[in-house]
Amino acid sequence: MKNIYIFSTIIFLLFLIVAPSIAQEEMTKEQWQTEMASYKAKEADLQSQLTQLNKDIEDLKAQSTKLDADILACEDALYALLGVTRADVEAFDSELTQMENRVSEFQRMSDAELVNYKDEMVKMDTRLKEMAQSKICMIPRYGDRVSALQQKLMALLNSIQKEKTYTVGTWARDRDCLWNIAKKKDIYANAWMWPKIWQGNRDMIKDPDIIKPKWVLKIPEGSELSKEEKSAANKYYRKKAAAEPAEVPAEQPK
Amino acid sequence: MKKLINFVIIASLLIGGVMFSSCSSSPSEEELRQLDDLKKSVNALDKQISDKKAEKAAIEKQVAEKNGKLQQCQSDQEAVKKGLGN
Repeated sequence: MKNIYIFSTIIFLLFLIVAPSIAQEEMTKEQWQTEMASYKAKEADLQSQLTQLNKDIEDLKAQSTKLDADILACEDALYALLGVTRADVEAFDSELTQMENRVSEFQRMSDAELVNYKDEMVKMDTRLKEMAQSKICMIPRYGDRVSALQQKLMALLNSIQKEKTYTVGTWARDRDCLWNIAKKKDIYANAWMWPKIWQGNRDMIKDPDIIKPKWVLKIPEGSELSKEEKSAANKYYRKKAAAEPAEVPAEQPK
Repeated sequence: MKKLINFVIIASLLIGGVMFSSCSSSPSEEELRQLDDLKKSVNALDKQISDKKAEKAAIEKQVAEKNGKLQQCQSDQEAVKKGLGN
């Protein structure tokens, strides 16, 4: 009899332990009702939020469309004030954007590289001056852009226009001639660059064979001879060859 | 003492029976399907709302940009009028 009591008690205890987990796995009717009510309320709330959002989006779209029309009208009125067309402004904007990109490329270059683009920069500067005179530049955003670009370009031009100079010494002491000056490491380190010094100092040097002590020569930037410099050098060599056929160019000019 | 033990056992079995019978009252399959459908519908609505909120934010940004552009244009007009001496 005692064994039955013990057995019954163990069964009962087991039941107490297992019953809650059975209850958790299988939903009761009350839990179902509670969940249904909760989800229905949530669904209604979300539906209402969605309706409101759809309405807000429609309002915003209408606002956006109206703004497009207002902007267009405002721009047309602005261009009419200036006597220009939308196409003129677009072309101006496009040209300016291209120049801005090009100047950004220049800004990433070293001074040595930049020297090769000096002509392009000078042309761009001239064009910017013309653009600054345009009526479109009365629109502040374009005026500001042109002015900012001019400043950047000027800074770039200044950075390559700091000219180096060389004071001529005597032939007896320094062996200074255009050939030897160009050969110096701190000048061009290349004797064949002598025509660059000649052409850069045409105001002083009439004959490249004659340079005088204490002359302060400008040393133009660059690592190559320009077309004009090459042409001047060739002319010089031909003249020299006609006058002194046996002379070796490496020893000239003095 | 023996009576007391008997009483405890019987009472325990009764309580256990009641608990078990209450636990065994579960919703029908149809009702569970309804709940499942409702959950799916709520999840779908959640997603739609999230998409709509993103769409709204994008349009709000566009509208703000366009407002800025309009104001800029109006201010440009004023500056040009001033420059032209009107």
